[in-house]
Amino acid sequence: MADLVGAFAASHAPLIAREWERLSPGAKATITESFDEMGRRLTALKPDVLVMLSPDHWVNFFLDNLPSFCIGVGPEHDGPPEPFVAAVFPHENLPGHAEFARHLVDTAFAERFDPAISYRVRLDHGFCIPLWRMGLEPVPAIVPIFVNELEQPMPGVARCFDWGRLIAAAVDSYPGDLRVAIIGSGGLSHSIGEPTMGDIDEPFDHACIDLFTHAGETEIATTLEDWLPRTGNGSHEVRSWVIAHAAMGGQGFDLIHYAPIPEIYVGCGFAEWKMAG
Amino acid sequence: MTDYWLSKLFYDLQSPAATARWREDRTEILDSYPLSPEMRQAVLNDDIAAMAPHVNAYLLRFYCLVCNMEDTDFIAQLRAMKPEEEARNG
Repeated sequence: MADLVGAFAASHAPLIAREWERLSPGAKATITESFDEMGRRLTALKPDVLVMLSPDHWVNFFLDNLPSFCIGVGPEHDGPPEPFVAAVFPHENLPGHAEFARHLVDTAFAERFDPAISYRVRLDHGFCIPLWRMGLEPVPAIVPIFVNELEQPMPGVARCFDWGRLIAAAVDSYPGDLRVAIIGSGGLSHSIGEPTMGDIDEPFDHACIDLFTHAGETEIATTLEDWLPRTGNGSHEVRSWVIAHAAMGGQGFDLIHYAPIPEIYVGCGFAEWKMAG
Repeated sequence: MTDYWLSKLFYDLQSPAATARWREDRTEILDSYPLSPEMRQAVLNDDIAAMAPHVNAYLLRFYCLVCNMEDTDFIAQLRAMKPEEEARNG
């Protein structure tokens, strides 16, 4: 049986890579310290597999084929296609874990979920910026789950709770000896390519942090479904956090750091979920 | 209303080779996408307000990077749309 050893969440603003040399010393320090702490905690857990949740930023999928959830089941994945990410995280390929990924898919179908699958995916900045900044070398095997958090209609928050429980069940039923960690990548508030671009919705961000710390599933789902249509489009990535939260049993949220960083347009959040007791 | 071909154009322009070609000669690439005359003109004019309602916001953002548009200019054009957007949304 595999063990779910931890779950984390982190922002992945592309400007962290694209503009790194031009960021202010304060922004660099905040981002560096937060990712370093996350990297230390994750490394200490000695994960064999990282299940990473992130949207696809129009790299693998387009309007003619846009899955709500897609699992990368290949033994390896392509590294970042964006030149500005490849420049700082030069991995042509990244390891996958075909056996666990297939078990996750089989568990999903057995539980009446219908994810898309892909034997070869490209891992964009949503995956690679956290991997780069956390300094995980060698990079553990990655099982990517792409969540549509970019184009309407998107999966409901309640369904994301279901997905979190599904991942936990798949880990629990895996016959091999594996240590599995989860990273929910994205959020918190940001607004891209719309009239509010650059705005950071701090009340939304603090509400999310409070919800993950104290609230039950219904309150989280209701609050987010009400608020998400009224805040920046990038905030939809909080679904990745919801999935991580649900996988860990919805207990023990530990905020590593939160900082609104206007230079990169994102309310940056870094968090770890503790194991359910 | 999403415009498939406008979206497809922006999606395709993400490849470095397509970006280079675009920066050399827009019309040659535009000829291979069946855009409406209005949308084609909006692209030629970099008319953000005309394109924004018809394309995913992230694709619009990519497109502006392809065009070497400064973020300050892009954001200014987006913010100029705000009153219209607010009026439309009540």
